[in-house]
Amino acid sequence: MSPRRTETGGRIDRLRTIRFTFDGAAYTGHAGDTLASALLASGVTLFGRSFKYHRPRGLLSAGVEEPNALVTVLRGEVREPNIPATMVEIYDGLVAVSQNRTPSLAWDIGAINQLGGKILSAGFYYKTFMGPVIGPLKGTRFWMFCEHFIRRAAGLGKAGAAPDPARYERMNAFCDVLVVGSGPAGLMAAKAAADQGARVILADLEAHFGGSANWSGETIDGMPAADWAQRMAVQLAGNDNVRLLPRTTVWGYYDGNTLAALERVTDHKEAAAKGEPRQRYWAIRAGTVILATGSFERPLVFPGNDRPGVMLAHAAERYAVEYGVLPGQRIALFTNNDSAYRSAVALKKAGAAIVAIIDVRGDISNEMRRLASDAEAELLASHAVIATEGGKAVTGLKVQRFDAMSGALTGDERSIHADSLLMSGGWSPTIHLASQAGAKAGWDPARQAFLPPKPTQRWIGAGAFTGSFSTAEAIAEGRAAGLQAAGGAASSAPLPVVETLPGDPDPAPVFEIKAKGKSFVDFQHDVTAEDVRLAHREGFVSVEHLKRYTTLGMATDQGKNSNVPGLAIMAEALGKPIPEVGTTRFRPPYTAVSIGSLAAERFGDLKPERLTPMHDWHIANGARMYSAGLWYRPMIYGLPGETVEQAYVREARATRESAGIVDVSTLGKIAVQGPDAAEFLDRVYTNMFSTLAVGKARYGLMLREDGLAFDDGTTWRLGEQEFLMTTTTANAGKVMQHLEYFLDVIWPELKVTVTSVTDEWAGAAIGGPNARAILASCVTGTAVDNATLPFMGIVHGRIAGVPVMICRLSFSGEMAFEVYSGAGYGTRVWEALIEAGKPFGLVTYGLEALGTMRIEKGHVTGAEIDGRTTARDLHLDWMLSKKKPFIGSAMMDREGLIAPDRLELVGLIALDNRALNGGGHIVEELDEANPHDSLGHITACCYSPALGKYIALALVKGGKARHGTRAFVSDPLRNRFGPVEIVSNHFYDPDGSRMHG
Amino acid sequence: MAEPHLPERQSPLEPEYNPGSHGNFEHGVDVILSETRLGSILQLAAWPGEEKRLIEVIRKVTGLALPDGAGGGVNNGARAVFGFAPGKFTVVDEAEGLAQAFAGLITPAIGTLTDLSHGRTAIRIAGPKAEWVMAKFFAIDFALPAFPLGAGRSTNHHDIFAQIQRSGADQFDIYVFRSFARSFWKALCHASEEVGYEVQ
Amino acid sequence: MLITCPYCGPRDVIEFTYQGDGNRERPQPASQDLDAWNAYVYDRLNPAGDHNEIWQHSGGCRAHLRVVRNTITHEILSTAFARGGHKSADNKAESRS
Repeated sequence: MSPRRTETGGRIDRLRTIRFTFDGAAYTGHAGDTLASALLASGVTLFGRSFKYHRPRGLLSAGVEEPNALVTVLRGEVREPNIPATMVEIYDGLVAVSQNRTPSLAWDIGAINQLGGKILSAGFYYKTFMGPVIGPLKGTRFWMFCEHFIRRAAGLGKAGAAPDPARYERMNAFCDVLVVGSGPAGLMAAKAAADQGARVILADLEAHFGGSANWSGETIDGMPAADWAQRMAVQLAGNDNVRLLPRTTVWGYYDGNTLAALERVTDHKEAAAKGEPRQRYWAIRAGTVILATGSFERPLVFPGNDRPGVMLAHAAERYAVEYGVLPGQRIALFTNNDSAYRSAVALKKAGAAIVAIIDVRGDISNEMRRLASDAEAELLASHAVIATEGGKAVTGLKVQRFDAMSGALTGDERSIHADSLLMSGGWSPTIHLASQAGAKAGWDPARQAFLPPKPTQRWIGAGAFTGSFSTAEAIAEGRAAGLQAAGGAASSAPLPVVETLPGDPDPAPVFEIKAKGKSFVDFQHDVTAEDVRLAHREGFVSVEHLKRYTTLGMATDQGKNSNVPGLAIMAEALGKPIPEVGTTRFRPPYTAVSIGSLAAERFGDLKPERLTPMHDWHIANGARMYSAGLWYRPMIYGLPGETVEQAYVREARATRESAGIVDVSTLGKIAVQGPDAAEFLDRVYTNMFSTLAVGKARYGLMLREDGLAFDDGTTWRLGEQEFLMTTTTANAGKVMQHLEYFLDVIWPELKVTVTSVTDEWAGAAIGGPNARAILASCVTGTAVDNATLPFMGIVHGRIAGVPVMICRLSFSGEMAFEVYSGAGYGTRVWEALIEAGKPFGLVTYGLEALGTMRIEKGHVTGAEIDGRTTARDLHLDWMLSKKKPFIGSAMMDREGLIAPDRLELVGLIALDNRALNGGGHIVEELDEANPHDSLGHITACCYSPALGKYIALALVKGGKARHGTRAFVSDPLRNRFGPVEIVSNHFYDPDGSRMHG
Repeated sequence: MAEPHLPERQSPLEPEYNPGSHGNFEHGVDVILSETRLGSILQLAAWPGEEKRLIEVIRKVTGLALPDGAGGGVNNGARAVFGFAPGKFTVVDEAEGLAQAFAGLITPAIGTLTDLSHGRTAIRIAGPKAEWVMAKFFAIDFALPAFPLGAGRSTNHHDIFAQIQRSGADQFDIYVFRSFARSFWKALCHASEEVGYEVQ
Repeated sequence: MLITCPYCGPRDVIEFTYQGDGNRERPQPASQDLDAWNAYVYDRLNPAGDHNEIWQHSGGCRAHLRVVRNTITHEILSTAFARGGHKSADNKAESRS
């Protein structure tokens, strides 16, 4: 038996021994232990080093609010830092290490910072490193130099660099009633709501339901409270309409009664089962939320209150009762309220000696006096602790007479020998979720605490959360809340009977004992009472500013311990009552949340892959794929040893010489159907579509409402009332929304349906001098000659036995056809075309060659239709119909959009025969040292096999007027300077003779 | 014109479609995943005020009587229909050629018919943990009272748009865009590992 | 934030796309009144309080909704199909049927 483990008691399984390591040393504990309770049982008192001063720190608490005992848990190469040891359930093989110490926890060189404590006060870093540069030792640059070392010396655990192989998942849940917290109030609420037939979720951040019932030592309905809670949980588990979520922290309360919770599914296990996530992020949408989140005991602020061995009173009680561990053998308690007396009795019962109860109050009730004598404790009323003694563990304390009204210390100091000092500064309801949900909390002078605000969302409070600190009240409020949430009538049935020790819930308004030495308010961020006063002296009067300047409450515990004491000290400094100082609003998350759980199943590339019907063929045939938005498209089909440039030049050249084929299935395709389809297209396109004959296609341009170019593509008229619109790959979704908006909101009288059919059709574009011959050799059911299939004509036929739709249109500038088939036949048609093309040397080409040929032709894409260019800028003004209004027609002629110095589309030829870069600027005069006066920029570039030159498209001021002139490319980032000639964007076959053939 | 016999369509799931038991199945398989490989998936849309006439045409052609209300639907095993948007319905058939059966009946006065037989992929999830696995993807309530038998829902999983019909007490049919189908299928299999799944 | 779609019921805001100020009045298509067009394209009320907005249920039924939302509290005061209840200078005039 370990030195501090009691003989009996607690919910640990003494028959099961668990082996784990902490800082490399082997320890054992029992099933049911937390890392904190197991180490405490093994005699460990030193758990960590503080953030700034590297002071030794031990356990302050037994729960989620723990600020000191933060550890890093290692699983293989993966490390998770900053987990409270109080929340780590031990398992065989657990490896945990302490943080913020070099080289070891016991011998930490950073502890030298304690000597410089005066210097490292609030705002030290700001004052030292920020502000104007005076000599070399100040200013931002100096700060950046020093920051590296400061960050190493100060701080919490280190994140790992190894990829986290664990699985995280998101769950969406719906319920009538979400109960947060499973103490007596939460259990009663869940039971009452479930009995009404409501769908109930009960979540608790601890592994075991019951909350305070697990350690209060009270009796409910004649049985130990822990047994009662256990029985309630078993009953709830048997209900089909109840979902129990242990180890689940509800950390965010959002609009619409949507709550976020984190379930630690396998963190307490040696290994996850197959497919089992490590953590689950629950997005819960609740009809009503019952907040039964309990309360936190507050520390008192006095010199040496951070020494290992100084602990919250209830935490010690909890270790003793729930885990069978005594935090000390000779225990002293320091309190401003009655609850510590109960702790004293419990610890006495568990086997510890209670050497003293030091109470700041003078008027102590007879009931408390009796409890003190039950605990065989010396009661020191009107006293306060003014110092603690010891190094890495408490060995004693000093007390002095104290006047609770004035705060004055008088009389002789007296030393008390103790190995544990427990403190209780009153209780603060855990109102975080209610605060997140909206309104501001209100200060209750009796409870000396912020009580929850009036609900602004559908929640009901119950138990200690509301400031009702007794179990009997919690049980009554819980049942009432459960009934109300489930729509049941109030019940007059008898409530479970609670037997408990007496106690007044109201503390004395004492938060700090002003004596010599460091008194900590925020343990995790090493903020002292003096830091708060210093901030006040320096003019930080707003509580929000105080928080940011001192970083009070900004550590991972988010002020769970420090919030009220900090405000009280600030209020005193300001000479104002606490409610006038106000409180900061709590924001999500309530506790630290792993990024993995938020990303959930979006791991790896974090996005789904969109694949064309011919995807597997591309992969099997050597395509190097390129992600374009969510789509994957072939970039090149490289031959062994080829560079990307060699591959695309070969592909483009072969296409122009004979024939090439490219997968165009990604083009956005929208079915536009209905009696008003043609009229609708006339309104959304700048050119006319009502005049288009059935069986023909037309190139169309769309503008935005503001008159700028939006998207382009061909639209095919398949029937009198049926069009197939194509859009650019990138804009497919945006165009769809654009059309839907106008049909739904602006012109609801138009009878038109728009449907995304992008995925319905597989598309293959085959172009080149031999394209028609290839088609002719494999298409049945239709001719493809010039008479049957003229430019922009559409025919229906079959390839490889499946129906296809063929439109003769060209992006490459060659005689070209787009062959559409049902997506499920895409590969079949594609393979048939490849086979038919073999005698002609048909090549497959990818996006690079596609881009090359479009640059040679001077066609625009999203690089030029960039949201800043007009139709005129792109020389598409011939498409602007004057016969009808269309979207953007009224705005497109505004002064700024027709100015002569606008950027216009031009072509560029590199006169130094070197590759150009997208984004490079065009200048009239080359000044490499001081580039200036940009005329415009390059939007797309390539090596043109057709011209045998490096060319580019660019948007250049004055555009057309500069054709035939020389300029320079100036790209200082990539050090690319050189002469270019500005030419027409139509580099290749400007009269279109090849495609019209 | 009678369609000549058409070859089998390629499934977008093919290389990732692995029949058999997977994941944590040693304790039993809690969901069964399959691609239903429907012959026909149609979208029918009625102009405002013409919904009743369209519903009547659907009944005449498919024998399926749509219940009232948003998202109402019915499924008889071989054929199914459900509403997924105001005046819009998805109608599916195991057999090909349903579009031809509607030809001429959806007049311009009633609305439109769009054939999406290739463009949508139908994936079925069935079993006692179907609701649990579905809840990992979609923020809608899958409990039977909230999502009755036959009903349809339109929702999305990140970028993947989905129409879902409850085709059984513990069975859902999910219609996703074909290009996303493999990605969704992989995610669905991944999410089903925890409960053990079988691909049929 | 939840938006109750009249067709699909309450759904998370991630299923919706904001499609702009619902107070905009689109001039008649043939209008050459540049001030009116300018107001339609650019002028926004930006109130602190109830705001008339258009949202599309893009991750659901794809219908456009007219939503009254409080810009301070995010409270959704009402939702309705935008179809029919839209603002336009003169719908009938531009209707062809």
